[in-house]
Amino acid sequence: MSFGHLPRALRTASFRLAIFYALLFAGSALILGSIVYWTVQTSLKRQMDERINAEIELLRQEFRSEGLQELIREIGERAAYFPVLDYLVVDDKGNRLAGNLPYMPSASGWTDIETEPRAPNPDAERSFHVRSVYLADGIRLAVGDDLEPLEAIERAFLEALGIALLAFLVLSLTGGFVLSMGFLRQVDDITHTAEAIIRGELTSRIPLRETNDNFDRLSRTLNRMLDRIQDLMESLSQVSNDIAHALRTPLGRLRHKLETARLQIRSSPQGLAAVDAAIEETDTILDTFSALLRIAQIEAGTRKAGLKPLDLSALFERVIEAYAAAAEEEGKTLKANVETGLSAVGDRELLVEMAANLLDNAIRHTPAGADIELSLVRKGKKLIASIADNGPGIPAEDRERVFRRFYRLERSASIPGTGLGLALVAAVAELHGIELGAEDNAPGLRIRMIFDAFEPDELRTSTGYVMAINPGARPL
Amino acid sequence: MPELKFKGGNKLFDVMRILVIEDDAETAAYIVEGLSTGGHVADHVSDGRDGLMLATSGSYDALVLDRMLPGLDGLNLLKTLRSAGVKTPVLFLTARGGIDDRVEGLNAGGDDYLTKPFAFSELIARLSALGRRPPLAPVQTTFRVADLEMDLIARKVKRGGKSIDLQPREFRLLEYLLRNAGRVVTRTMLLEQVWEFHFDPKTKIVETHISRLRAKIDRGTDQDLIHTIRGSGYVLRASS
Repeated sequence: MSFGHLPRALRTASFRLAIFYALLFAGSALILGSIVYWTVQTSLKRQMDERINAEIELLRQEFRSEGLQELIREIGERAAYFPVLDYLVVDDKGNRLAGNLPYMPSASGWTDIETEPRAPNPDAERSFHVRSVYLADGIRLAVGDDLEPLEAIERAFLEALGIALLAFLVLSLTGGFVLSMGFLRQVDDITHTAEAIIRGELTSRIPLRETNDNFDRLSRTLNRMLDRIQDLMESLSQVSNDIAHALRTPLGRLRHKLETARLQIRSSPQGLAAVDAAIEETDTILDTFSALLRIAQIEAGTRKAGLKPLDLSALFERVIEAYAAAAEEEGKTLKANVETGLSAVGDRELLVEMAANLLDNAIRHTPAGADIELSLVRKGKKLIASIADNGPGIPAEDRERVFRRFYRLERSASIPGTGLGLALVAAVAELHGIELGAEDNAPGLRIRMIFDAFEPDELRTSTGYVMAINPGARPL
Repeated sequence: MPELKFKGGNKLFDVMRILVIEDDAETAAYIVEGLSTGGHVADHVSDGRDGLMLATSGSYDALVLDRMLPGLDGLNLLKTLRSAGVKTPVLFLTARGGIDDRVEGLNAGGDDYLTKPFAFSELIARLSALGRRPPLAPVQTTFRVADLEMDLIARKVKRGGKSIDLQPREFRLLEYLLRNAGRVVTRTMLLEQVWEFHFDPKTKIVETHISRLRAKIDRGTDQDLIHTIRGSGYVLRASS
């Protein structure tokens, strides 16, 4: 069943559920009504038949024992005093001898006959249920009963059934609607809470109704599960902070001591070189820790709440502008193919870092003379960004794995790096719901990112959004 | 040995009075020792409440403030200080490298932010940039060092009267160097201020732009204005 043309409120699951139940109830009521109707109708008809049969037997005996004249008299008397049934007696030529039925059916046995509608009262049409028999010498007797009372009962019954059905429909529709609204409101509460959690609002909980029904118990259980998740997330960030303190602080002191030592051994060039190498090693370890902590923080999703619409085209242009000269210096050509005025919802700082990481990667892992192209185009409701190079590329079997932490291609072992750059890109993509993939650029590597386009119309309908990027903004 | 730019007696650096509020004794000693060696005056407290008292009463050129402190944490200390109308520049120190931490610190009224561990050269460069910031300077739109001139309104740069054509980002870079003329600015400071990059790119963005700027400003003149300070950063000044 399609509800596409109905207003939004009527397309809800609750309304559909209500309609389903109403139809179900109405269907059962209809079946019940039909059975009752059929039973009543048959039993009334059978009673009528029995009455007519008994009357015919009585009159036939009367005729046999008393003769035609007595039969005619008897019928006249019955019509005058007990007008329950209707009669007709005709001779062999078809002349009416007694009775008031409109005419004699042509064949004997059971039949239904009707009066011809006649002016001045055409509505006064009557129908009769009639049995006719031959008595003797072509004399025929017909006994019938007016069908009108039976039909009146049937009509009344159908009317009552119709009204009941209507009441049924209205009641079950409203009842079903109210019931399923309550039911679905609780489902909606759970959905809203889950969505808030996904957005990073970890303290969000399903409201309880204190009814202690199945739903309340489910909500309570889910809330306990959310408490547990929140605990885990908090202890994760606690662990991160602990690592920061427990390892970064002593490493920092180590670095300080090395710097101090450096000042004291200025006379020995070998000593200086050794200390410089040690400082560099320390910095590499510290860089790795910082990158790991940063990825963990992005993955925790707390920044999701701060995503705002921004000019993605301007953001990409800015990153390209920063890298163009450096790429050229390394003998690589950085080309831009960025459609202007494309917006998406995101965290400006993280998206800049993501684009910068990808360019860092492309510049470091391609030989001199390589072309690197960054493009951003709109396709329907999606924005497709890609960073493509014509370097050595990545073997197909490794393409999924490059986004993992510490994953490095064997041939890149000589290129310095933490092995966390693309893992950070993946974390930022995950936070933003950006579809991220590595493809063969034949030759080379193409990293593709698919953003949901932000429609400027949404600015008018949604309240909290303000365009966030101001390309001319200066920090000073 | 030009890398020890904080060495005592260096005329380029006026004496600064710095208050260090830091509970980690080692870090504090490292900062205080470095500052004293550079000829600056450094006071140290390890408790938040004592720090607040000193910061409110004393006249310091800048504060080095740890995020996590016993007694009163750095963020609340700074909020209290700012609500009391104390405008002393504050450099935050933190062991957490969080993205949100920097924004939180700056929103609370901090002026700059440094993640532990840090090179001392980074700290002193940032402190001198903060400590020299004149409290209510009129908006300066022209800069001049030796025969190099910059006009921010006309967006023109001249060296020895000869007009120099700069790319927008090179212009911005030179402007920042000129605003901090005579002071060392580090690579990280340039990334933050000129490119708004709050991370460490693996590509030599700063180095490339400096060398291009240098080619336009210094090439063919008898006096280099942009100097590289090994292990620290860059400085724009008339004499080497």
